[in-house]
Amino acid sequence: MLTKRAMTTATPPLPGAYAGKLLRVDLSKKKCWAEPWSPADMRDYLGGAGLGAIILYRETATRGGKGNVAWDHPDNRLVLATGPLAGLPVWGTGALTVVTIGAMTNGPTSTQANGFFGTNLKYCGYDAIVIQGQSKDWVYLYINDDVLELRDAKSLIGLDTWEMQDALNRETGLSGHQLSVYGIGPAGENLVRFAAIHGDYGHVASKNGVGAVMGKKKLKAVAIVKGTRALKAADYRGTVQAADDIAHDLRTDPSAKSLYEYGTLPGVVNLGKLGALPIKNYTTNVPYDDLTNWEAPKLREGFDHRGHQCNACGMHHCHMQVIRGGDFKGSIVDEPEYEGWSGAGWAIGARDKEGVSWLNTQLDRACVDVNEWGWLCGWVMECQERGLITEKQLGFRLQWGDIKGSDRLLQMVNRRQGFGDVLAEGVKRAAEKLGGAAKDAAIYTMQGCSPRGHDHRARWEEMLDTCTSSTGTLESGVPVHVTELGLPARINPFAGEEVAMMVAGIRGRRHFEDSIGICIFTGRTRLENLCRALNAATGWNYTVDESMRFGRRVAAIFRATRLRCGIGPDLEKPSVRYGSTPHDGPAKGQAIGAQWAKMIDLWYEKVGYDRKTGKPSPKTLKDLGLDWLAKDLWGRKA
Amino acid sequence: MSILKITPERCTGCLRCELACSYMQTGEYQPAKSVIRVSPFEGHTSYAPYTCVQCAEGWCMTACPVGAITINAAGAKDVVDDRCVGCKLCTIACPYGTMFYDPDTRKAFKCNLCGGDPACAHACPTAAITYEDVATSDWLADFAAERTQRLLVGV
Repeated sequence: MLTKRAMTTATPPLPGAYAGKLLRVDLSKKKCWAEPWSPADMRDYLGGAGLGAIILYRETATRGGKGNVAWDHPDNRLVLATGPLAGLPVWGTGALTVVTIGAMTNGPTSTQANGFFGTNLKYCGYDAIVIQGQSKDWVYLYINDDVLELRDAKSLIGLDTWEMQDALNRETGLSGHQLSVYGIGPAGENLVRFAAIHGDYGHVASKNGVGAVMGKKKLKAVAIVKGTRALKAADYRGTVQAADDIAHDLRTDPSAKSLYEYGTLPGVVNLGKLGALPIKNYTTNVPYDDLTNWEAPKLREGFDHRGHQCNACGMHHCHMQVIRGGDFKGSIVDEPEYEGWSGAGWAIGARDKEGVSWLNTQLDRACVDVNEWGWLCGWVMECQERGLITEKQLGFRLQWGDIKGSDRLLQMVNRRQGFGDVLAEGVKRAAEKLGGAAKDAAIYTMQGCSPRGHDHRARWEEMLDTCTSSTGTLESGVPVHVTELGLPARINPFAGEEVAMMVAGIRGRRHFEDSIGICIFTGRTRLENLCRALNAATGWNYTVDESMRFGRRVAAIFRATRLRCGIGPDLEKPSVRYGSTPHDGPAKGQAIGAQWAKMIDLWYEKVGYDRKTGKPSPKTLKDLGLDWLAKDLWGRKA
Repeated sequence: MSILKITPERCTGCLRCELACSYMQTGEYQPAKSVIRVSPFEGHTSYAPYTCVQCAEGWCMTACPVGAITINAAGAKDVVDDRCVGCKLCTIACPYGTMFYDPDTRKAFKCNLCGGDPACAHACPTAAITYEDVATSDWLADFAAERTQRLLVGV
């Protein structure tokens, strides 16, 4: 049981779409066991981010709730959770949410990936895996219905994520989606702070160093056989109807149509036009290459393709590519997301698209966060150009756009060799170590989470959201179908107050989406449709209002854990470079720094949090039905 | 008659057909009991669904010693549960590997075209599975040969 509830004589029926059990793993004791969770908890916490948030809050406290365990402590929890929609015919419901105390911020994290994790896990009979303890030797977790084993992973150590999945496929005699494998590469093994968790050839839960947490626990991977169990839906026809309506929205709605056709590829040109494409470590906002060469159809047509979709998904989004020519001819790689074209491309000044595509998969294989890679590698390149990091210090000369040099740097970081050991701590810690002009050139948030792959000096809502986040990455974004929430359809992106109102206004939707087990992209439909799908699957009656209240409850729980980790409002600001003013390009002269204090104050007022302590106010908590949290945070005063 | 036509090049491996099929066949989502299954090629980079092609020869019918496989109103070979004794001869006789055995019910089961309105064809988001009045064919043969060869000789 997650929460203590009054005993009743009748056991309420299991809601539709749930497997009904959590898989608990204690690595210190080498034990695995299934634990039922109650229908009331399912209704209150749903799954994914919501389930992870309450487990983290309940199980990682120290000093009677005044402190929290650190990311590398055995008592840190690593929650790998699905949601109620996972494994159902709703598009994009492979559903993995990772919740833990992450290595970058040493605070709470919620980061997502898809593939077939959630599908395979639920058909084995589990809604989530909750991992505690630390193993003495490297192990991997094998799940096949009731067969739960911590197996020796010695032979997998040193393998990159794709090689590891190949090896496990060979070992089990399974292939394709018969076996879903999520795990870490060499970066996670060596506790690189921005190491990620990767699975199913191209899906990455990348934020806040979750791979380092897995590495610290000496858990190389989780391998889940496609289970043989059944899932019931409360209303099968309704589930399919809601799924079809969501698909219709995705195919036809202007806010989703380009995603349906090309995934996130159009972002390169669209964000470039806004000045929000991060170019050469934010040193300019003017593209160094003709953007028309980077239009989505051209990016896609430049490679041979194989569709590689997640569970039940009809988007033309995830693809495998075969590189046709150049140095990497014949390589099979995962088509980069926009974030890949930016982090392995524009942020480091690369022009060679085949090289960018290859490097992007190298990052997935080593298994680090592609966003942080862009900020780290771009920073090293700039520092070398300006003589702030010498050739002797680094061991070689790394110039803008050098793909092979970038891979060489990756392998140094990956294995913490030479200067790679400093860089493996992430750009914030590396820059703070060097200090001076090098420190001022680095892109990071003061609480430590990596910004996503844009130039946020032209996308203020993401800078505000990332800096105030309690999930180790963008927390509330991105705004979608905002009029459904009573917010204006359009705002002036450089009017601080309008931006703050928008970021506060959408707060909750992301947490809800990340709890029901749907992809950020296929969730790009009206909230009303998501509620319909959830209700048909489970038999509940969630409304749009209730889904937003749910999300804000989860946000408050994450915030309480964050504060317990010692990450207060004083750290909610950008680094010097991240918060600077663009000197050229479409956003030239737009100074977020001048409006920052006003934006933060307004955001606090609108979300109902106390500006001084950062806590959700007693009134906010009461309105959300979180009286128990009010008592924890405010004591008797509440 | 209409049959399920498979265009393997269009399949992205999302497995939505398995979910829809299992619901129609068992009343629950349970891909393990789907009678259409998606097979990976080249390890993991290509996928294609396969199910009963409703072949003219009807090897399963010929092999069945108790006459439990008949032709339904949609023209599909179908297992009559009351007659099936679970001997599995049909699963051996079928050259396509699309006769299945359910250890829970101890009966054989197969695609019956959902009685003429196949759920998999409705569910497929890329039209890799369509329900059409065409001559039956071994839909995967050329695709499988090509993808296997590519794996063997490199791209």
